[in-house]
Amino acid sequence: MSSEIKLIKYTIKKPMTLKYPSSLIPEKKYSQIPEVLRGLLQRDNEKCIGCKACHYSCSGKATTFQYKENKLIIETFTLRCAFCGYCQEICPEEAIKLTKTFEITINNPNEREAYITTELDLLKCKNCGKYFATKKFIDRTYQRLIEKIDPIIKESVMNDYKKIEEYCTDCRRMLSIKLNTHPKKYVWLEG
Amino acid sequence: MSENIINRIKEIYPNGLEYEISGNWLIIKVKPEELDKIAKIMINLGARINHVTAIDLESKGFEIINVYDITHTNISLDNITNIIFKANISKIKPEYPSIGKITWQAVWAEKELKELLGINPIGLPDSRHQFLPYEWPNPVESKLREIPEVNIDGNYLQLKMPIKEAYQSLIPIGPYHPGVIEGQVVYVKVEGEEIVAADIKTGFHHRGIMKLIENRGYNRGVFLAERICGICSGAHGLAYITCAENLFDIEIPERALYIRTLLAELNRIHSHLLWLGVVADVIGWKTGFMYTWGLRERILDIIESITGNRITYGIWRIGGVSRDISKEIAIKAKRAIEELKEEFSKMALEIANHPVIKSRLISVGKLTYQQAFNGGAVGPTARGSGWKIDVRKDNPPHAIYDQSIISWEIVTDEGCDSYARMIVRIKEVLVSTDIVIQCLDYLSKRSGEIKSKVEEKPSKIEAIGLNEAPRGELFYYMKLYENNSLQAIRIRTPSYRNNALIPLMLIGCNLADVPVVMGSIDQCLACTDRIEVIKNNHRKIMRWEDLIVMSVNMSKKKGLL
Amino acid sequence: MIELILIIFTSFFLGLFYSFLIRKFSARLQWRIGPLVFMYKDLRSIMGITRIIQPLYDIIKLFGKKTIIPESSRKRLFIYSPYISLIFAFISIFFIPFSGISLLSNVPYSLVIVSYLLIGSLLFMIIGPIASGSPWAFIGVRREAELFLVTEFGFIISLFSMAISKNSLILWEISISEFNLVNITAGLLMFTSILGKLHIKPFDMSEAEAEIVAGPYTEYSGKLLGIYYLTKIFLIYDFIALFISIFIPINTLPIYLSIPLFLIISILIIFILSIIHVLNPRYRIKNALIWYIKIISILCLINIITMVM
Repeated sequence: MSSEIKLIKYTIKKPMTLKYPSSLIPEKKYSQIPEVLRGLLQRDNEKCIGCKACHYSCSGKATTFQYKENKLIIETFTLRCAFCGYCQEICPEEAIKLTKTFEITINNPNEREAYITTELDLLKCKNCGKYFATKKFIDRTYQRLIEKIDPIIKESVMNDYKKIEEYCTDCRRMLSIKLNTHPKKYVWLEG
Repeated sequence: MSENIINRIKEIYPNGLEYEISGNWLIIKVKPEELDKIAKIMINLGARINHVTAIDLESKGFEIINVYDITHTNISLDNITNIIFKANISKIKPEYPSIGKITWQAVWAEKELKELLGINPIGLPDSRHQFLPYEWPNPVESKLREIPEVNIDGNYLQLKMPIKEAYQSLIPIGPYHPGVIEGQVVYVKVEGEEIVAADIKTGFHHRGIMKLIENRGYNRGVFLAERICGICSGAHGLAYITCAENLFDIEIPERALYIRTLLAELNRIHSHLLWLGVVADVIGWKTGFMYTWGLRERILDIIESITGNRITYGIWRIGGVSRDISKEIAIKAKRAIEELKEEFSKMALEIANHPVIKSRLISVGKLTYQQAFNGGAVGPTARGSGWKIDVRKDNPPHAIYDQSIISWEIVTDEGCDSYARMIVRIKEVLVSTDIVIQCLDYLSKRSGEIKSKVEEKPSKIEAIGLNEAPRGELFYYMKLYENNSLQAIRIRTPSYRNNALIPLMLIGCNLADVPVVMGSIDQCLACTDRIEVIKNNHRKIMRWEDLIVMSVNMSKKKGLL
Repeated sequence: MIELILIIFTSFFLGLFYSFLIRKFSARLQWRIGPLVFMYKDLRSIMGITRIIQPLYDIIKLFGKKTIIPESSRKRLFIYSPYISLIFAFISIFFIPFSGISLLSNVPYSLVIVSYLLIGSLLFMIIGPIASGSPWAFIGVRREAELFLVTEFGFIISLFSMAISKNSLILWEISISEFNLVNITAGLLMFTSILGKLHIKPFDMSEAEAEIVAGPYTEYSGKLLGIYYLTKIFLIYDFIALFISIFIPINTLPIYLSIPLFLIISILIIFILSIIHVLNPRYRIKNALIWYIKIISILCLINIITMVM
């Protein structure tokens, strides 16, 4: 009987219930919103280069991409998103960020609000006329290449890159002998 | 090496024995016909079965894998903790002598082999389906079982029943029952209110998570592994990562290990508080439910401020963790945990001494040490029967659980009933808070790397990973193809073992105790009984009979029937 | 005559108020908010302002639902017993004095009438579920019947010990008689049996949702369940009004004093009931019976001793 009575002292306490949808007392609406909260995904259209790394790393298969004429469209279906934050970690340009927004309920899953879309312009291949990669992607690859490359072969690689810049991957392979950009020549150089 | 296991097994194989040592495991290749004899030797030596499973090697047949834990036996093989026996069987005649007839520990696992892979363990004591419905066509026998006729007119058949049975009534508890939130049926036969017989049927929610992980590869699988269970998500994440890291030879930074321990223990605290609430609810004490869940909210808030999410932490990575803890948050969390510990230890004392709670829990759901040992109980259920097993000590996951660095001890109780299990869990919460405080001490004082570089290609092709989830031992097994992609993953959750012991605990109890006994082992299942097909906004609900007809038609089309 | 019409509304709203209070008190003791008294200002446009008396809304909602009558039930008994139970509970409000207003309680043998009416109401709460043919209902009813027998024992003894000590079988005469020691001992006895009759927490095993779904009411739905809820509303009023009028001498006071006193005492009783409700888990039926037999026999003995003295 005694511990029943001792439990009485726990009964005197303010209610823990949050007054959730009511915003009369804002601090009573949420228990906390921490700084590190993983909420709705946000993709910076300026920073995004269209490398599709987020698509290949997405654990929930929420991020997809498609080529539409001269556009590359990267879409994240937020209802499939698991908020794991793996794309944020993997993004080479730090374009993806998980914001603190978490009230993302929508009425109709087919609404456009459910998608986070990034549209990027594609380059046209000079040879075959196929759209192949974004301008930003080519530029960034070029930058990274010259950052990391061995200074001995730097100049010739830069020249070669300038030549093949405007061709798609298939055409690069096809035209590599004609333009004298075949990577085998570096092997000969080293040998 | 007083009792060398290899010598004993060499008695069966005089002509040589294929074995290799990989990490902490001894892998021995055996003939499938000898599996039951080996099991007998191992069980007599006091070894425990971790899991019995099989892998489909496509054209090469099946590979049967038996994993034994030898940490609680006299066998001493340097630092070997597990022995893995492997046997290849052909697809033409997929048979091997059953281990289930030797020990109950393997029965559910072998039923799974039978139902989901089509392997026939000869001599399995209980041949009914466990995960598939009883009336489902048997993939092994390749013929229809008797489907109970569905009576459309509403005329019920007269049952011919002996007089003794007429006093008894069969009560199905589940799959939809307010006392048991998750989907399983426990059939109990009652005389008045006393239970005279009980049986359990599971398999109402097969999600195929193992196949989904196989499709994704081992890098992305961790997010799915965390979502196997919403309560012990942290434990699943740690076990998965332990298993995946065992494939590589990598050194994990110390700070990452501390963060992992911290989160795994916070996970355990919140799970045990939740469990206490559920048991309070089951015995009709809504107040206890509210109080313990109120305390649990604070743990969730701490977890949220560290990882950014309340339930799925998403910070487990191969080679470390993805998020660091700042000094301020560590200090803040430490203060909150200390407050919680003080409050909980006082409240738990009152709860444990409450006369009505005592009368509801003491000597309910008896499980003696011998029963727990033979049935292969794990976790608090085993520790409540006085069996001192804890994976954190025996076979630690990749986190800091070294008792020389962090002081903690295994909690056991000799009560062997539901009350003992409650006491074990209450004490474990207090032990876990101690571990958490020690981890936060370290994290607030020092800094360092949290992730190390991982090689491109794993060095092993198979690995096991164990972790002590709040409910017991969690077992992961991974096997890779030669080209570094995931061939198979096998997961054995703790409830898989403990649920098999429910009928044993129920006999002799009162009907009012059924939810208490089921709750006392902290089972973790999920449930669905029929499929709702929504196609082009037309909703069609498929009934049970439709599904059976569909499956029969499908089997006929494939030529199986 | 006006009093008799007024008491219908009074008892209904007091019953609603008491069941609201039990919910609200136990919620506050469990760190919750419980049913709302006022809707929040910014949600009024969505939720409306009237969603405050939750017990009433429960009943109104149930009356709007479809009633399902199971094939395997004895239909006539299944359908009519909620109504009979309601009628018994409803009629008994006229025979219980309400804070200084005698109503019909000064008719001869009104004590016997009240006790019969209350037993009848509880009896039809048991008989209806038996007819439903559900195994859960059988187990629930079995528990309810066992509990009914032990609580009834204390209930009747306490009522008639009052009648013997005041030398009258008329409720009104008992309620205006002098206060003495029997009031206390018999009142305690009555209180313990009310715990079981109102299913206050260690004794709510007949409705234990974790064990036997909804117990007796498993097969009841829609309007028939609503009728049972309504019966419970009247029963709460009945028991509390009966308890106050018999054991606490407020009926001799003038009306402007007795009505506030009645309210204060009834709220106090509800508060004590909620504390007991909150602090206890549910007993097994066996333990509850043992507890009741122990406590009631001790209290009965004390009661008889005080009566003889």
